[in-house]
Amino acid sequence: METDEAIRPTPQQARATLAELERVQASTAALSATPWPRWFATVLTLYIAAIPPVYGGMTASTQWLLPKSAWSTVLVLATAGYLALFAFAAATWRKKTGVALRLDVLPKRATLPLAIGLPALLIGAVVAFRSTGQPAWLFAASGIGAAVSIAFHRAFVRLHRKTA
Amino acid sequence: MKADTRSGTGDPMDGFDTTIHAPNRLRICALLDTAGEAEFAVVQEQLDVSASVLSKHVTVLMEAGYVEQRKAVRNTRQRVWLRLTPGGRQAYQAHLAALRAIVGP
Repeated sequence: METDEAIRPTPQQARATLAELERVQASTAALSATPWPRWFATVLTLYIAAIPPVYGGMTASTQWLLPKSAWSTVLVLATAGYLALFAFAAATWRKKTGVALRLDVLPKRATLPLAIGLPALLIGAVVAFRSTGQPAWLFAASGIGAAVSIAFHRAFVRLHRKTA
Repeated sequence: MKADTRSGTGDPMDGFDTTIHAPNRLRICALLDTAGEAEFAVVQEQLDVSASVLSKHVTVLMEAGYVEQRKAVRNTRQRVWLRLTPGGRQAYQAHLAALRAIVGP
């Protein structure tokens, strides 16, 4: 690491440099905040919406609509399909934007409650279904999960427009 | 990160780095610090510099051990992806702290 008193900037120059760096960072952040394509946002929403009924069917104390093995097969197929589409969407996204895919672009105050709340909602609904036998819990969690997914996609779109 | 709290020891000005401080190199570091990893063409477009100018600065940063590159093929053409090394990220953050110390409270 070199130091050289002769080239050290004045406070005004340092302030201007920091301002320029903020501009570069904002411009780069706009690229990183590029939202998923609408088709993948739809896939993600459908996958989230499918989790409560499928997981509920798998763990129901008595058979619900389908045999448990059929629910397990649906879950495995849906997850494999989702992961394959995620890998494809991520690769396409990277090619389109030219920057690394980052999942920490949205503010933590939004993502942290989601990271805790969404799994709690999806699993909690399954637990409530097992306890009460009421499938309404599953469908309610499905609907809320889908709404949250759509809301986050819209948040990304807004953030991208705002920072672009 | 506040300059005087970046490290428990030493003067923030110790982090002033002449290799990083050249304007284009500083902008390259800022971009890569934000993006994580970026394609050469994207860095060039964002910084609005020619490929040869960018290449020259990237070479300096690579020789200092601050930037590393990865080559990937896209549409049959080879693309270069750039990212900061851990040492480069640390040096960039230390340099930022030094600039903030110069600006003062």
